[in-house]
Order: sequence, then C-alpha cells, then structure tokens
Amino acid sequence: MTLLTIEDLHAGYGPSDVLHGLSMTVEAGEVVVVLGANGAGKTTTMRAIAGLIGRRGTIELDGVPLGRRPEQVVGSGISLVPQGRGTLGQLSVLDNLLVGAALRTDKDGVQADIDRWCEVFPVLGRRQGQLAGSLSGGEQQMLAVARALMSRPRLLLCDEPSLGLAPIVVQELFATLSEINKTDGTALMIVEQNAELAMDLASRVYLLDVGTIAATGTPADFRADDAVRAAYLGY
Amino acid sequence: MELFLERLISGLTNGSIYALLALALVVVFRGTGTLNFAQGELALFTTFVAWWLTTQSIPVWIAIVAALVLGFVMGALIERTLIRPVQRRNDMAVLIVALGLFTGLNSLAGLLWGSETKIMPSPFPNGLDDYVSIGGARLYFDALGVWGALIVLMFLMTLLFKKTKIGLHMRAVADNPESATLAGVRTSRVLAIGWGLSGAIGALAGVLVTPLAPQQLGLTTMFSIFIAASAAALFGGLDSLVGAIVGGLVIGVLEAMLTGYISIIGGSLQQTSALIIIVAILFVRPNGLFGTQKLVRV
Repeated sequence: MTLLTIEDLHAGYGPSDVLHGLSMTVEAGEVVVVLGANGAGKTTTMRAIAGLIGRRGTIELDGVPLGRRPEQVVGSGISLVPQGRGTLGQLSVLDNLLVGAALRTDKDGVQADIDRWCEVFPVLGRRQGQLAGSLSGGEQQMLAVARALMSRPRLLLCDEPSLGLAPIVVQELFATLSEINKTDGTALMIVEQNAELAMDLASRVYLLDVGTIAATGTPADFRADDAVRAAYLGY
Repeated sequence: MELFLERLISGLTNGSIYALLALALVVVFRGTGTLNFAQGELALFTTFVAWWLTTQSIPVWIAIVAALVLGFVMGALIERTLIRPVQRRNDMAVLIVALGLFTGLNSLAGLLWGSETKIMPSPFPNGLDDYVSIGGARLYFDALGVWGALIVLMFLMTLLFKKTKIGLHMRAVADNPESATLAGVRTSRVLAIGWGLSGAIGALAGVLVTPLAPQQLGLTTMFSIFIAASAAALFGGLDSLVGAIVGGLVIGVLEAMLTGYISIIGGSLQQTSALIIIVAILFVRPNGLFGTQKLVRV
C-alpha cells in the first residue's frame, strides 16, 4: 500500500525553484534511499515535505493531501531528522525528547516511549539530565532520531544521518534504524552520501538530478548499472 | 548605619523594579532575539490605564489585574501584527518597529491622558507610619510589597519554564526554532505568548513603581527605569532569567550607593551609574555575567 505519494513537486528558496516537478512514492513500511549530487534537491525535497518551505504540487499521505504547516505534517505522522541534527543544545536530553512529543497528550504513552528510546539508545538513558549540546556528534544524531520518533511517525525522513560520524557509529545507527523499521513498520526515507551503507537497508532507490527523479530501481539495479555506480557509488 | 540601610532598602526596591522589567526584556529576547525598546512605554501605557480605572472608582487591585491582562493582550497583538511580518524580512526592522512603538505608545498616552503627572495609588498600605524599623532604618510596606511581587513572579516563572509544556516549548523555540517547529511546536503561538507574558510583566513593573515616592506617573517616568532595566538585562547576558534578576538588584543597589555616597554623581548624574555598569560588564564579559556561551561540540 502506498503511504506517501509526491506528484509534480516544485519547491525552492526565494524566486528560484530547486525542485522541478519531482514525483516519487514511498510504500508503507518501506525503506527508500534518495541519492544525488550536491545541489540535486535532496534536502529541499525533505524540507518541502516537512512544511519548512513553501511548495507547489501534490503530496498525499494515505491518499489524503498532506498539510502544509510543519505541525500538521508531524501530526499526520511524518517526522524529519534534519541535517546537522537540530539539537536543542541548552535543553537537557530528556527535555529534547519531551519536545519531540510536543503534539501528544498521552502522558503515560510519552513516558513509555522515553523509556523505550533510552533503552534502544542507552547513552541517552545515561545522560537524560545532561545538556544535549554537550553530547558527542554520534550521540546527538541518536538523540535527533529519538526526538523525531517521539511523535510516533509512520514515515521517518532522515537527512544525511551519517554526516560527520565515525564509520562504526554510522553502522550502529543504520542497524538501529533498520531494527525500528522492522519492529514498528516505520517507513524510512533516507538521504545519504554514504550510499553503499544506506542501500543495504533500502528496498528502492531514487536518483535525483537537478530537481527531478533521474532514475529509480532496486539497489541491485543500481549496483548493476555501471554509469550510475561510477557517478554515485564511487567504485 | 541607618543611612546605609535605608539606601540598601531603596536600592533593593528600585532594583526589584529593574529586575521585573529586565525579565520582560529577557523573555522577548529569548524568543525573538531582539531588545524590545517599547517595553518601558508598553508598561507606561498599561499603568496609565490602571490609573484611569482607579479614577473611575475601581479598586486598585482590580485595576492592576486589568493592566496585566491588557499588557498580555497588547504584547501578543504587537507580536502578531507588527513584529512577525517585519521579522521575516529583516531582524533590524524589528528594532525599528520597536522604536516606533516606543514613541507611538508614549504619544498615545499623552494624547489620551495629558502630560501632567498623575498619582497612581499603591496596592499596599503606604501611609507615613506603614513601616517596620530595621536597625533604625525604615522599611515601608510598599517596598516590601515590591520585593514580594518579584519573589512571587520568580517562583511562577520557574514553575512555568521548568514544569509546564508551554514553558518547555518556549525554551525549545528560544534554543532552536527550526527544531522546535519540526517537532510540531507551534512556534508562532509560542512567540505571541512570550510577548504577551513580557507585556504583563512590564505592566506589573509599571503599576508597582509609579506609586513609590518620589515616583509619579508621567510621560517620562519609564525612561530612566527602562535604561536601568536594559542594563540589568545586559548584565545578566540578555538571555538569562536569573541574570536579569541579579542584574536588576545589583544595579538598583549600586545606583543607590553611588548617588548616595559620591556627591558629584548625586541626583543629576544618576543615569550614568547604569551606563558605567553596562560598559564595565561588556568590557569584561561580552556575554554578560550569566549569558550562555553557546555549547558547541562537533
């Protein structure tokens, strides 16, 4: 079943568009990886979905038009882990997680989720009272993922989650994301420079070029295509 | 010794008022990132309304509550209608709008109520005999009332920021607006509430300070108080609530001591003590004494 449908999406900053009629879909519970060169529009796509920037074109969630305001997007079940982690540095780790539950009113459920993510990411549990800005890059990335998951999304958008992290931390993070995808059925859309690793999780890959989808297929298709492999996978 | 105690008491009382107005400035600064130059005049305007209500034989306590509510509504409305539209374009424009409001609100008060000074009744007993004696110095009840108001407000603000959801959201928006937005926090509502809150706190400062001798309610009443309050807010680093309170009290006491003991400063150079303090603080610590130095790890 199709969870997210994007058709003919135009978006950008100021007068010039970055996205020129982009169309793509995400199935329920699926992992989609978006590849593309710098400036292709990967981050713009995610920001347009999240409602951070204006857009034209259709975005539907479960066949229903998606709201244009960020809180509507979060409320309907899409959460974005922004590039650069978006840590609330002067707030404690616990407060960061509580902010992630901004739209929820079920106190017990929120507490249960905090306990859960502190178990999944033990470092967050140990540092609940510490200022989030004092965490390491990897820890902040885990906090960003946990904060986004606090809204119980059905689709989690991850923008360059591996940026600036040590390879071992990246592997751990991807393993956890994959685990969450399997146990909760949370669909993932991952924008990644670290294409190889992301493609291990993916069921489908989209290749973005100058604001439109240039190619789509399974990871196997992409690995088999010499031109794509040379340009985007680097081997 | 008596004289010293009396100066200390008067310094702490003025300082409490500076602290209140500085708190209002800090609440706005944390949300919007600019100094609200109109904060003092907003307080003045709401105080004029409270005074006017008392002339309509409305009890002073009710008039004060009305002024606080009006302060909240005006603050929130100003954010919605004037600040937000210009902030999208340019941060500097917010300062200009605030300066415009400063003169606008002052003129509006002048237009409505004239330029002669008014006597704002005190909500506390303030007869000549309403004092307790401490080491020979007189501590009047209305001064005590101002201290009490500051303490109660501190308590309420701590509760708001540490224990409530809206307080958490206000801290989140102040820290990282985009992240707060992505989590579903209604940033615009939070900002309007912040401005409203600071409008109400400013109104409280206004209705408390004007009944104090030798203050009176006139069009220039808030100028010097606003300058001292901005110094207090700067002292604390502009984003620290504790800093604003400590800053207000320190500036109030220093001002009372400097003008009391150094005859050349006396009455006419009173404002300079605030200036000296601002310059000295910024020279030693550009982030103020309590300002957050951004904690960054990469």
